[in-house]
Amino acid sequence: MKRRKFIASSTLASAGAITMPYVLPSGLLGAFTKPPISEYVVFVLFAGGVRQQESVLQRYLAEGQNEDVEGNIMYNMLAGAPPIDKIAYGQDDTVNDIIGGIPINPILQTPLDQLGTLFPEVRFSKGGAGHFSGLSTGVSGNYYSTQGLRQRPLSPTIFEYLRRYGGFKATDCWFVSVGITGSRPLLNYSAHADYGRPYGGNFIAPTVTFGTPGMKNYQDFKNYHPDTEWQTILEMREFLNQNFAQPGLEIAHLYNDVNEEDSIKEFVKSTFEKVENGSLILPPVNDNTDLKTVGYAVEVLNWFKPKLMVIDLSNIDVCHGDYTSYLKNLHRADHAVGFLWREIQRIPGMAGNTTMLVMPEHGRDLDHNPIKDDNDWYSYDHSGNNENVRRIFSLMVGPGIDGGLRVGSVDNPKGDASDIVPTIADLFGLKDIVASKGLLEPTARSLFDRM
Amino acid sequence: MNTLISGKHVFRILTFALFGMILFSSCEVEDYYVYGINDIEITPVNSEKDKAKTEAQYISILYTNLFQKAIGPNQMLEALKAIESIGDKQIAFDMLVSKYMNDPAVVLPTDESMRENPEQFVRDTYSRFYVRQPTEAELQWMINYIESRPALTTELVYFSFATSNEHFHY
Repeated sequence: MKRRKFIASSTLASAGAITMPYVLPSGLLGAFTKPPISEYVVFVLFAGGVRQQESVLQRYLAEGQNEDVEGNIMYNMLAGAPPIDKIAYGQDDTVNDIIGGIPINPILQTPLDQLGTLFPEVRFSKGGAGHFSGLSTGVSGNYYSTQGLRQRPLSPTIFEYLRRYGGFKATDCWFVSVGITGSRPLLNYSAHADYGRPYGGNFIAPTVTFGTPGMKNYQDFKNYHPDTEWQTILEMREFLNQNFAQPGLEIAHLYNDVNEEDSIKEFVKSTFEKVENGSLILPPVNDNTDLKTVGYAVEVLNWFKPKLMVIDLSNIDVCHGDYTSYLKNLHRADHAVGFLWREIQRIPGMAGNTTMLVMPEHGRDLDHNPIKDDNDWYSYDHSGNNENVRRIFSLMVGPGIDGGLRVGSVDNPKGDASDIVPTIADLFGLKDIVASKGLLEPTARSLFDRM
Repeated sequence: MNTLISGKHVFRILTFALFGMILFSSCEVEDYYVYGINDIEITPVNSEKDKAKTEAQYISILYTNLFQKAIGPNQMLEALKAIESIGDKQIAFDMLVSKYMNDPAVVLPTDESMRENPEQFVRDTYSRFYVRQPTEAELQWMINYIESRPALTTELVYFSFATSNEHFHY
């Protein structure tokens, strides 16, 4: 019933688009552009390698450790009762000396799958199940079997599409990363000759920028007077750069204009002050890097109100050698997403106008490796020849998206990891022009078209 | 036997002789030179700098230029991480150099020395950051700039050079 309603409203929107062409900030007009469905998009790469068994299937220890305990440890994102036995995913109970014994209170009264639409069986259909490969597919909508570390995505990222065809500014597009390892700083623009740096999104790894490296090298950086000193620097630098105007030989800037550059520097300065005086907006529980990163991401959202923000997480990956910590970090990743959605609804302008997408970058093995943790629970890798690594999910919530809708099932998977880029393009009214460039995975579809 | 030659004949002989002299003299072979010009591509003095420094090279040279000593390995590692954590490298370098400029250990020429001998200051600055001498045009522009702005400091000049594109290339 809800799906019918959605299709009906989509049809009406499409009809409106035909009769009322939409002019984008880039000046594009015509058959390729439609009115945006959403003003802002936040895409969470729920990354680190999540098993379906402990996430959407809510099997807790039942399948992972052959213990008869099921339950939902992601209750901000998914509806379902939590486990009632062998609680090890929460905060440590220091009084009773139980590791992970106190579950974190839910942030959202209604789980996101009830507010939005869940695709419980999506496929990471090609390529190796490596983190960078998965993240790269998430932001580029394509798979490349030759994609390696230390190499930018080979096809354009969603940032480049939006900046090139949507006329978005550099500060409209942000990749907020959990860190700088694993080539993550290369995910904000591609190596494609027709796109690349001129259309890249801004990148920040806030736990590094505002952690020890940033404190030693950025904190308390000098504020030059904008109208006198800074203007002088810009004049001299322009002269010097004019005398070195060779194609491609420039410091790798991202075409932030002068005002955007100033704004980023002010943001950094302001955030350092917040770190110092303890006024950062952090999740109630913030005892890992994922949670801190999401806290900083909220600061970026508040400051810039970007059209698109991509956030990646990674603490879940501890599952290679510590299943208990994997459960704890999975529970915290859910806490982070719930917090993020709550905070978005507190930002004037973004509240009610933001669509959030959540998708793991790939799954994890069905069979455990030999490593046991303190609870004698086995660990799990993400290997090349295991079909379980191809099982992921997608969740989207926001204006115009039906609540409580599930699309697809184990027997009838719907959706692909490459779908997020066309979905974001669709949300901004650019689906057709992005598809027309022929640089997406051929089977990639907007999730709206999967319904 | 004497032959009487009239004045008319003398005139004719002289005319032929003169004509003959002119004729013979005009037949002398002269070398004829044609000067051609080969096309030569004029390139700027800095055109050989076509490779970007690595961030480690950039930081190392920058630090040495500003502090007159080598950067320590741990400090280098932290600086590299900080740079990598910001996508727009111009902004990252601006903040890094601003931070260095706030350090009391930074070594800068005095403003007085710049005012006393702007040409030498400009030459030294080009040499320090670009490892070359300025062209005449660059020299004049910089000297004019310094002399026309009483509030200009050596710090601002150093900042501009340190964060310019040429300084990032070799």
